[in-house]
Amino acid sequence: MSSLHFFQWLTHTPFSVYIRHSTWDFAVIEMFHLLGLAVLGGTILLIDLRLLGVGLRRQPVSRVASELLPVLLVSLAVMVISGALMVTAAPLKYYFNEWFRLKMICLAIAVAFYFTLHLKVVRSNEGLSASLLSKVAAVISLILWLGVGLAGRAIGFL
Amino acid sequence: MNFILHFCQWLNDLAISTAIRESPVLFPVIETIHVIAITLLVGTAAIVDLRLLGLVLKKEKVTDVVGQIEPLAWWGFGVLFISGTLLFLSEAEKSFSNPAFRFKLFLLCLAGLNPLIFHLTVYRRVNDWDTASKAPWQARATAIASLTLWAAIIVSGRAIAYFN
Repeated sequence: MSSLHFFQWLTHTPFSVYIRHSTWDFAVIEMFHLLGLAVLGGTILLIDLRLLGVGLRRQPVSRVASELLPVLLVSLAVMVISGALMVTAAPLKYYFNEWFRLKMICLAIAVAFYFTLHLKVVRSNEGLSASLLSKVAAVISLILWLGVGLAGRAIGFL
Repeated sequence: MNFILHFCQWLNDLAISTAIRESPVLFPVIETIHVIAITLLVGTAAIVDLRLLGLVLKKEKVTDVVGQIEPLAWWGFGVLFISGTLLFLSEAEKSFSNPAFRFKLFLLCLAGLNPLIFHLTVYRRVNDWDTASKAPWQARATAIASLTLWAAIIVSGRAIAYFN
């Protein structure tokens, strides 16, 4: 099944029909997406700024990251679920929206990077100061996640 | 009330307000900065609140978490305040009568009072409970109030567009 077929199939599901015709449900789901964004963004900022030597400097990087991981995962799940529900309201509109496509690509790269190279870098930082490689990883992470956020905002402008 | 309305109308007609309102680029850019900056204030504050509730960063001292995150939150507040003011100026007259905007302003005052009370009262004795994973009930109440208020502020901020 191609992705276009999947999005077309989504359009005809009962949930899609339901949410398309309800005024408030979409707005409520969008609120959860925004709230999830605040927490996810805050967690990512705290970890990456820490790698850059800003914020929770008295704690080792690896400890900060491992203690914030549950919050990151829960807020990411809230965003993915609320995002998927919003797309279901008008699947083809999003499918053909170039900002949505860009956002999904950025999201895939950001998540892949965050849970592989970035994770490795964070875990290897058990001291108080981070290596140059770690700082580069932090900057890349911030740029990728910022890209996801900006592309997401741009969806609304098209 | 009439005085405030006239003041908002005056603000609405300032050169800077008109420039933002009539530019296809300025308003969206400032608004995007406003939304992204939420992560710097509310996101980091949420982590502090979760620490006070004993849910996250439990091995760290409260003073370490509060003291090191607060400067970041202030930066976030600064960006939100400036971008928010610019956004308000560009639609000052509409915002005056927008119920979502009025409610948001009211909540912002409460959200400012909450940490002030916290710092002046239970936080004064923080050395007694700095390393405890469970903070005194006043601290936990502050955290719940903070999380609730900021969530409501974000929601009413988003609702502004629905009432415009």
